[in-house]
Parts: sequence; structure tokens; C-alpha cells
Amino acid sequence: MTLLLKLSQLIDLLNERVGKGAFWLVLLMTIISAGNASYRFIFNDSSNGLLEIQWYLFAAVFLLCSPYTLQKNEHVRIDVLSGKLSPRGLAVIDIIGTLFFLLPMVITVMWLSLPLVAESYKIQEYSANAGGLIRWPMKILLPIGFALLALQGVSELIRRIAFLQGLIADPNAKDAGPTAEEELAAAIAAAKAKEAK
Amino acid sequence: MEWVIANMAPLMFGAMVIFLLFGYPVAFALAANGIVFGLIGIELGLLQPALFQALPERIFGIMGNDTLLAIPFFTFMGLILERSGMAEDLLDTIGQLFGPMRGGLAYAVIFVGALLAATTGVVAASVISMGLISLPIMIRYGYDKRLACGVIAASGTLAQIIPPSLVLIIMADQLGRSVGDMYEGAMFPGLVLTGLYVGYVALMSMIKPASCPALPPEARTLHGLKLFVRVLTTMVPPLLLIFLVLGTIFLGIATPTEGGAMGAAGALIMALVRKRLDWKLLKQAMATTGKLSSFVVFILVGATVFGLVFRAVNGDLWVEHLLLSLPGGQVGFLIVVNIMVFLLAFFLDFFELSFIIVPLLAPVADKLGIDLVWFGVLLAVNMQTSFMHPPFGFALFYLRSVAPASVKTTEIYWGAVPFVCIQIIMVAIIIIFPDIVSYGDEAQREQARLEKEGKAPTVDLDSLMKQPEGDEASTEKEGDKEDEKDEDKSAADLLKNLQSESK
Repeated sequence: MTLLLKLSQLIDLLNERVGKGAFWLVLLMTIISAGNASYRFIFNDSSNGLLEIQWYLFAAVFLLCSPYTLQKNEHVRIDVLSGKLSPRGLAVIDIIGTLFFLLPMVITVMWLSLPLVAESYKIQEYSANAGGLIRWPMKILLPIGFALLALQGVSELIRRIAFLQGLIADPNAKDAGPTAEEELAAAIAAAKAKEAK
Repeated sequence: MEWVIANMAPLMFGAMVIFLLFGYPVAFALAANGIVFGLIGIELGLLQPALFQALPERIFGIMGNDTLLAIPFFTFMGLILERSGMAEDLLDTIGQLFGPMRGGLAYAVIFVGALLAATTGVVAASVISMGLISLPIMIRYGYDKRLACGVIAASGTLAQIIPPSLVLIIMADQLGRSVGDMYEGAMFPGLVLTGLYVGYVALMSMIKPASCPALPPEARTLHGLKLFVRVLTTMVPPLLLIFLVLGTIFLGIATPTEGGAMGAAGALIMALVRKRLDWKLLKQAMATTGKLSSFVVFILVGATVFGLVFRAVNGDLWVEHLLLSLPGGQVGFLIVVNIMVFLLAFFLDFFELSFIIVPLLAPVADKLGIDLVWFGVLLAVNMQTSFMHPPFGFALFYLRSVAPASVKTTEIYWGAVPFVCIQIIMVAIIIIFPDIVSYGDEAQREQARLEKEGKAPTVDLDSLMKQPEGDEASTEKEGDKEDEKDEDKSAADLLKNLQSESK
């Protein structure tokens, strides 16, 4: 089990790095899109390549951030019923969910996408738009993202089993850090206190 | 077995509800439901094994979706803006401006709520700012706590209906309409709704003046010309941003996606100028945007897997049949759909509702001759209540987290009830006066409507069977890019072949 927990930590670290790296693409995407739009207003000229690179970046953001989102337990759940369960009950739900919901779907889609990506690479498929980009770098993001997601699923599984065995703390417990909303509230409260002085 | 084959669609739908209630993330529960029933269908000989081949193509389609690209931009913009201090300044000055009026602080909250809605569009941020800035003042000067909480929660949710809101983007994507039309259509109803909130406060100030007293003169730190100048200067940044985003979209200079990016860039610049932007905030905003984009798009991925199989077992026809057999035609359909969405909104948030329910409803609405932009705006107003429903509504939850301890949770819940009622009234208004949702070129739309009516308004099940995928492809995206179209077509063709084989 210690070996498995090591593996889990390794996966978590990998996906944290990948996710945090991909966050920067949000900023890049914004700059490219705003820049492209401004350029078009001024020079009345635009490039399909610059439009398409935004899709590529968007795809990279949601696919590469998804494992990290799973790690942080931020994929939306409907917890009307499960919200009343104990941490152990929740861990059991997650184990069943990972084994029967997440992994089969992720592996199926990844597997089916591989031939399409290979084909796209082989024929050097280009976008049909004038000045469009080569396609495979976008398509390959799908199997990469899903493979990382499957890995993260394995890590979640290990952590929950370890929790049920009493080896680690509750992996579903909220991280110690404040949420974005709490930070906003703190910032406003601090500004108000400053003003009052 | 016969029975299972004949009832695959209802079984699958029922199982989906169970899968979702299980409590595992919606995206994967939905997808798993699709895969399980796909496998059962293949096992029973109902579906072709090649069915799943279409999945990666569908996801590639999502990856190249220009409409959804607006989601991270508007989210990023909102997150930067909520920390820029704009909301606090507005609440402070507008509160001072309206304060001396009876109910003035409540009007200020509604006004600022609408203004923030037209810029940030983040419900949580609006509610938190108002809960921290306005609520304590309202309570201090004797406002009824229920009224104060209700106004704040409701005004915060205006972000859902006043453009640029995420729900309208997703609705446009799922209904196969342009985001620009959706924004234009939602603008006026959003303002009417704001007016109804104002009307409610005005009514309360007349029948129960003690519930919303005027502020005494000593509560104001600014007077006369000084106040006037302050109001003008604080109004400039939000108005500029509104022009930068909505103005450019409505004038047709920018696409909604570009408008979002411009807004995000504008918000970054504004936060820089106000010296509110640092690396920590930037990183946090990027992280939240990344995570939100990823969970939203993954719900869509899950809904796509579900939808692919659900259509293959003729689930869409089943739903259509159910809804078309309702008495009362259009009106009966609208009433049932709205009651259903209203009830579902207690448990589901608008992402889930738009990705799971809307694709099932849209084709039926279209067949009944209902304008889809209008339908989308109607549903958006209805779904807005999901933020206010006690006890799960997010707006109430955020308000609770920042409200002073002297405010009881039940006061927050009861405060929201009148506004939920106003929301229902608004839904009724849109149904009774459909013209308040207006967008695009009227003449052109009339032409399209006539053409459609001239063709075949009656529902022909045979023709539906032949091409359900065509409908789906068009609801999936705008498809104005050539290669997108090609991809879509190939996916649709593939599916069509599969289905005709399976029949």
C-alpha cells in the first residue's frame, strides 16, 4: 500500500504541474483573442490561424485541467442524497464511481480516439479554413488529457482505499486553503476595515 | 427481454436519474450511463457495435466550438473584476445617492446588481459584495432583514439573465442559435425583471414603510456636488466595460467570444490601474477559470455520450412523443416544461439543466413552432430561480456565508420567497407577451416564420425518424466554420448510417 500511495502522490504531482501549467493558457488565450479582435478593428484584416489557435488553447485548458479539477474534487456533483453520508460512505461512492463510471468511459473514449489521431497525423490533415492550422496537435490533446484523467482516477482510487484502511486522512475533506469566494469576502472586509480607520 | 427492448429509452432515462443522484461527479455519471446502455443495446442487437466510434469525433467537435470559447473569457473577466473594487465603490456611492429615499438602499442594491450583471455576471461575487457592504448598513438603519436579504440575493442573480451571462452562452450553444441573438433577446426581459424588483420594493415602502426606512442625513458622508461628481466617476468604469463588451457585440463589431476577450483584457487593465492586480490574484483567477471551463465542458462531454446513445435508442422520439401528447399544444407544452424546470432547479444547477434537459426540449419546441431564442430566454429566467430556491440556492448560500450573525438563516430563506414569486410572474409575462424578447431583424424573422409555417407545422414522425441527427448537429454548434461543418457532417453521417442499420 505504501508503494501505491507513492504512486498516487506521483500522479497527483504530475497532474498538479500539468494543470497549473495549463492555467496560464487562459491568459494567453485572452491576449490572443483580444489582440486579434483589436487588430481586426484597426486593419480590417484577420487570420484564421489566430482564431483557430484559440480553440487549440481552449481544448488544452479544459482537457489538461480536468485531472487537476478531479484531484481538487471540483467536478460538479449532485449531493442531495449523498451529502448526508459519512466520509467513509462518500469514499465508497467515489470508489464505485471511479471504477464503474470514470475509468470505463475515459478509457473507452481515449482508446477510440487513438486511430483518429494517428490518421490525422499520417495524412497531415489541415483545417479547411484558409490559413488554418495543422490538426493533429489539437486532436492529440484528447488522448493525452483522457490518459491523465484515467491516471488521476487511479490515484483517487488509491487514496480512498487507503482512507478506508485508516492510512490517510479523508481525501474528500476540503483543502485547508480558503475558497475564491472566501478570499473575496476577506478582501472586501479588509478594505472596509481600512476605510473605517 | 422484449419489454426491455421496447422500453430502452424510459429505462435509460430513469437510470440516468439514479446515476446522477448517486453523488459521483455529473460529467462521468452521465457518460457512464451512456456507455452502459450503449453496451446493453449492442448486446441486445438493438444498436451497432460501431456506435461508440462517433464519440471521439463528437468531442473533437466540442474542442473546436467557437461559442463555448466565450465561457473562459467571461469567467476570467468576472473573476478579475470582482476583485477590482468596482462593486464596492458602486454600492457605496449609489447607496449614498439613493439612501435618503424611502427604500433607497434597496433600490441602490437592485441598480448596482443590474450594473454588475451587465459587466461581471458572477452571481457569487455580486451577492458577497452586497452582503458585506450593503446588508450591514440596511440592518443598522432598520431595514426588515427579510426584505434586505431577499433584495440582495435576487439582485445578485440578475447576473444570470442580463447579458453577458454564461447561461445564455450555453443556451445558445445547445439551441443552435447565435449568442448575439440570445443576448439581444434577453436584454429587455432582464430590464423588465429589474423593474419588477424595483416595483416590489416600492410596494413594500408603501404598505410597510417601516421595512425600508430612508437613511438619516448623518449617514451620508458626501453631499451636493461632491456626491454628484463621485457618482459620475464611479459609473464610468462599468459603463465603459459594458460598452466594450455588449456595445461591440450589439453593434456587430465583435463576436461574443471576442467581446468576452476584450472585456477580460479591459478588466485586467482596470484592475492594474486601480492597483488591485497582483500575481496571486491573477493566478487565482486563471486557476478558477481553468477549473470551471474544465468541469463545464466535461458535463457537456458526459451529456454528449449520454445523448448519442439516448438518440440511438430513440429516446428523443420518446421524449417528443410524451411532450407532444400533452394537451394544449404550445401553451400546454410551455406550462409543463416550465413547471418541470422550476422543480428540477431545486436540485440541479443551470449547467446540468442546460446540457441534459435543453437538448431534449429544443427539437420539440422547434416542431411546435416556438422561436428558440425566445424559448431560451424563457428557460433562462426560469433557471435563474435555481439560485434563489431555499434551501439549496447558491445565492442564499453565499449570502449566509457573509451575512452578520444577527441575520437568521430562515430570514434569508423567507426573504427569497417573494422574489421567487416575482420570477414566476416574469415567466408568465414572457409567455403572455412574447414580443418582449426581441432580437435581430424583425422582418427577416417574420419571413422565416412564415416559410416554416408554410412548410409543415404538423409533426410527422416518419420524417423525424429519418433525420434526428441533422437536428442534433445543428443544436450542437453554430457551424459557421467550414471545417466544423465537415466534421459535424461526417459524425452525423456516420451516425445516420449506424441508425439505419440498426433499424
